[in-house]
Amino acid sequence: MDRPEDRIALIEVLERDGRVGRSVDVHRWPVTLGRALANLVVLDDPHVAAQHATLAPDATGVLRLTVGPSGNGVHVGRLRLAAGQSLALAEGSVLQLGGVRLRLRLKHDSLAPERPLATAFGGAIARRMALLAMLLLALVGVEHGVGLDPGADVTAWLPLLVSLPMALVGWCGAWALASKLFQHRFDFWGHMAILLPWLLALQVLDLVLPQLAASGGWRWLWLATKPVSAVLAALMLRAHLAHVLPGHQRALAYATAALVLTSGSVAAALNLRSHGQLFTAPYMSTLPLPVLRWSNPVPTQDLVDAMSGLREPLREQVREAQADEAEESDAAE
Amino acid sequence: MLLALRPLLALLLATATAAVPAQPGGAAAAAPSVSAASAASAVGAPAPEPAASAAAEAASDPVSSAAQRIYEQMRPRLLQVRTLLKTQDSQSSVGSGFLVSAEGHLITNYHVVSQFALQPQRSRLVYATIDGQQGALQLLAFDVVHDLALLKAVDPAPLAGRGVVAFRPEAEPLPRGARIFSLGNPLDVGFAVTEGSYNGPVERSFLRTLFFGGSLSPGMSGGPALDDSGRLVGVNVATRRDGEQVSFLVPAAPAQALLERGRKAKAIETPVYPEVARQLLRHEAELTDRFVAQPWRPAGHARYAVPVPQETFLRCWGQGSPQAARGLQFERSDCEMDSRVFVSGSLLTGYLTVRHEAYDGNKLGPLRFNQRYSASFQNEFIGTSNRQLTAPRCLEQTLDRAGLPLRAVVCLRAYKKLEGLHELSVLVATLDGSQVGVQGRFDAHGVSFASAQRLTKHYLDGFAWTAPKTASR
Repeated sequence: MDRPEDRIALIEVLERDGRVGRSVDVHRWPVTLGRALANLVVLDDPHVAAQHATLAPDATGVLRLTVGPSGNGVHVGRLRLAAGQSLALAEGSVLQLGGVRLRLRLKHDSLAPERPLATAFGGAIARRMALLAMLLLALVGVEHGVGLDPGADVTAWLPLLVSLPMALVGWCGAWALASKLFQHRFDFWGHMAILLPWLLALQVLDLVLPQLAASGGWRWLWLATKPVSAVLAALMLRAHLAHVLPGHQRALAYATAALVLTSGSVAAALNLRSHGQLFTAPYMSTLPLPVLRWSNPVPTQDLVDAMSGLREPLREQVREAQADEAEESDAAE
Repeated sequence: MLLALRPLLALLLATATAAVPAQPGGAAAAAPSVSAASAASAVGAPAPEPAASAAAEAASDPVSSAAQRIYEQMRPRLLQVRTLLKTQDSQSSVGSGFLVSAEGHLITNYHVVSQFALQPQRSRLVYATIDGQQGALQLLAFDVVHDLALLKAVDPAPLAGRGVVAFRPEAEPLPRGARIFSLGNPLDVGFAVTEGSYNGPVERSFLRTLFFGGSLSPGMSGGPALDDSGRLVGVNVATRRDGEQVSFLVPAAPAQALLERGRKAKAIETPVYPEVARQLLRHEAELTDRFVAQPWRPAGHARYAVPVPQETFLRCWGQGSPQAARGLQFERSDCEMDSRVFVSGSLLTGYLTVRHEAYDGNKLGPLRFNQRYSASFQNEFIGTSNRQLTAPRCLEQTLDRAGLPLRAVVCLRAYKKLEGLHELSVLVATLDGSQVGVQGRFDAHGVSFASAQRLTKHYLDGFAWTAPKTASR
């Protein structure tokens, strides 16, 4: 078998994580696959039939897969072939026979270009991350500083200087462990590169949106801050997960959407129950900086007149409460 | 967040302002009486008998002899009013009462019988006399605002011939310092007479309440306070737990009016919420009229006119941050009414509160000031839906008050069982200063919708510039 120059194809048996476990050189067609020892490629998997499948070029020279007498059949991508069916194979097809995944590489298949080493830390990536980290630290620092009284003791800055880096390292370390589990590499900086821009976006949003809402007097925008932050946080989680499980983009997108929708609707339902509205905050509590106040003030009488609009909803709430009460006392009797 | 809380706590500790109705809940009454009994037995004295005879021996003192005379005279007319659960004989609350007519009418506090009044299907009322007579009572009428109730014995026969407590005419005002005698059954220990002095009406009280310089304890609620000829001066109603011998009486006049009004009334057998609401609406209409008619007092702020109420029936407490503070400087004023109307153990209503905080952030700079100013505006509790009230409905708007920009929030909650009554909260913050500002809050408990609008307008119009807008900082 040791004749690489005569190799016309290569069959790679893939492990669970997508890496190649062993590979089999192909020197002639047809190639038979199955559990029986008579096959060219022997697959030791209880879910594989004795003569599971055959690979051979057809009259036009296109390589075809023909499924043998197997109950489980063969999966090619999302397609399932039953016993007796056959299919022309495209470049780089991945076949699944029972629990075994195989990748077929042909002599004239085109090759993807060389990818740079992901672990190569330095140059542009390092500079970009350093810049993002500085920006983040500056933003969080400004927020922390505004919360301190002027002339505060230096130690008041310690929590920020210690806890922020610790939190970042802890977060990325945990994700890197997940990468180690699924990707076999401790990709700390890869996760840091994901975390920093998202965290920066969240921080900017948190600083800017409430002030903007207060400046314009836009209550809806102020209320939107929390849901938008939550969605951004969910997207950040998705980005981390996608880095750990690159082969499951679609499933991750669904999971993220489901997470956002369920948590959003649970929160909304709880708020509706206890506060009678979707949001817990009864009013917009951020007050605008005087120089940034754009909303147009109205005379006091307008607000007093607008109160009339509350009368009917309140009556409705009272009627509902009385109906509930009547129901309860009926049930008690 | 802590900024606004801290001063409030200090204020509460310095002067807890709430008057506590002297009604014992079942458990509250039981605990002190049990401990009193065990204390007596621990001393080893064959408890009450010798103590009573010792008191009788000391009766040569002229003052005590008056008390003895009053007690002897009033003994047959004093009653204990008990609220029992419909299905069992255990008392769920007790108070005192006194006979005011030969037909078996008696007067007590509304709060003594509120449990029955609000849920007549679940409880019943009985009386017990000093000589051991017992009988069923019915509720004829009540005055929730003055905390009075008129009851009548279902069978007046056992109460016949006991005489009545006469009302002291209003035309004969009692001099301050006059000795008066309060009777009742404190903590269900036994009937008692306590002496004290008459100190005139409570100052700055919206409802006329008398200040009794003597001790009242739970269980004495609804008992009579009498002058030295045995005529009714007032009805025991409340005491201040943070003071000594600072107790309160409902004047005789509304009790007499209640008797006239309810003498022939039919017994109440359905929950009284509609009537309570009607009486509260009348009360709040008068309160609103009188409050809106008063001009605001100046708050003494250099830049803004801030609404501070007259102290005719509100009491204000002021507080400021320490001078040396590095951070935000503030001064606050808290004004509230002493008079509150007891509806049930979980609902006091019929009062107003007005508060403001003036902030000076010139040691902070605009950004820091804005952060703290917003945090303080956020630190206001409006309330959520509960058994008494609906969830709040709020409006918010940036207002132009004669050139002064204000952020205002108006929240209303409706009482679920008292139809037509609401709780109003108005929050206001001035928006013009980058390092100076005033935030105010006005609350009205138990007001009609129309009154809520009038009060809101009145409050908002209390804000303005003190001088034309030139001194911009």
